[in-house]
Amino acid sequence: MEAPDEQLMAAYRDGNAGAFETLYLRHRGRLFRFVLRSVKSRATAEELFQEIWMRVIEARDRYTAQARFTTWLYTIAHNRMVDHWRRGGLSLVELDEQDPPGDSPDPARQAEAREALERFAQALEALPAAQREAFLLHEEADLSIAEIAAATGCNPEAAKSRLRYAIAKLKAAVEDG
Amino acid sequence: MADERDPKVSQRYRELGREEPPGELDARILAASRRAPETGLAPLVPPTGRRRWYFPVAAAAIITLAVAVTLHVERQQLDPGFSGLRSEPPEAKKEAPAAAPPQESPAKPAAPPAAPAPSPRAADAMQERRSADAQPAARRDAQSGAPARLYGQVAKVESPEAALERIAELRKQGKHDEADKALAEFRRRYPDYRIAEEMLKKVERP
Repeated sequence: MEAPDEQLMAAYRDGNAGAFETLYLRHRGRLFRFVLRSVKSRATAEELFQEIWMRVIEARDRYTAQARFTTWLYTIAHNRMVDHWRRGGLSLVELDEQDPPGDSPDPARQAEAREALERFAQALEALPAAQREAFLLHEEADLSIAEIAAATGCNPEAAKSRLRYAIAKLKAAVEDG
Repeated sequence: MADERDPKVSQRYRELGREEPPGELDARILAASRRAPETGLAPLVPPTGRRRWYFPVAAAAIITLAVAVTLHVERQQLDPGFSGLRSEPPEAKKEAPAAAPPQESPAKPAAPPAAPAPSPRAADAMQERRSADAQPAARRDAQSGAPARLYGQVAKVESPEAALERIAELRKQGKHDEADKALAEFRRRYPDYRIAEEMLKKVERP
């Protein structure tokens, strides 16, 4: 059975460097995508991603397993992102030059799928920052409404409302296609 | 957990891709994570991108500050009427930084100067020399005690709330650069601390 995140973080706090590696590998992808889809460029995303983990390492001595590790991690990420947003503009990373999923060899259908995906990405980018963050925390980081509220410092009603608005707008973009 | 997901939205979101951080970044972060428990210090990872210049500037600032504090403490403790100490600046310099961080070190060497109290009355030239040796030592102890106290004050833990009040005060006084630095330090020290909206207005640059 895999050790829970909280146990790994506590082990790292107590000097077990291997515990951090397990924790890092478990969360790196989700956290990276959360950051990447919240900022303008990949380079910025990498910079922020590194800083968030550095803050986790720095704060290890103060870590207490009062909440899920994920909530703690994304609270740190949220705070770092807020700093970033306050300094600069809001934008989403452009879509990579990659083919959309599906094995249809039909170029017309491929183009259509790509357009639909771009429309979705634009809708995500167009969301107000708080709504987009709520959506990414729910969809990517798998946080509950209460955890989103805890990580972003708002009340659960506000978190729920942001998430619902975000999903409604994204759904409209999906159905448009 | 109340799942608010919409299957179509979730599916389309997944189609955006599953980007991952580059291996080089993984290696840097993991190396920093391994170094931190060994050294007990904050991780040293060279900043990337536009903050690349932070390290050299920070290193220069730290060295300047360390030299300035050492000189300042030395000058403060220097007794103009006592020539013995002046003849030993290199030794004093050597001891000051070593004695500063641990609290116990000033206490230990302080014992010998206290010990001469029951010294015999038959004080000959030899003993005079010994007490003359002891005096600069005591003075050095006092000197090393001073930085220890000084460091003690600096290292005194400030609560996040107090720190924010201090930053707000700086902002109020128009010391924005200082406030910016203090705020950056605050965020580094308390990365998971949520600043209330009301306070945020006071501590952020208007």
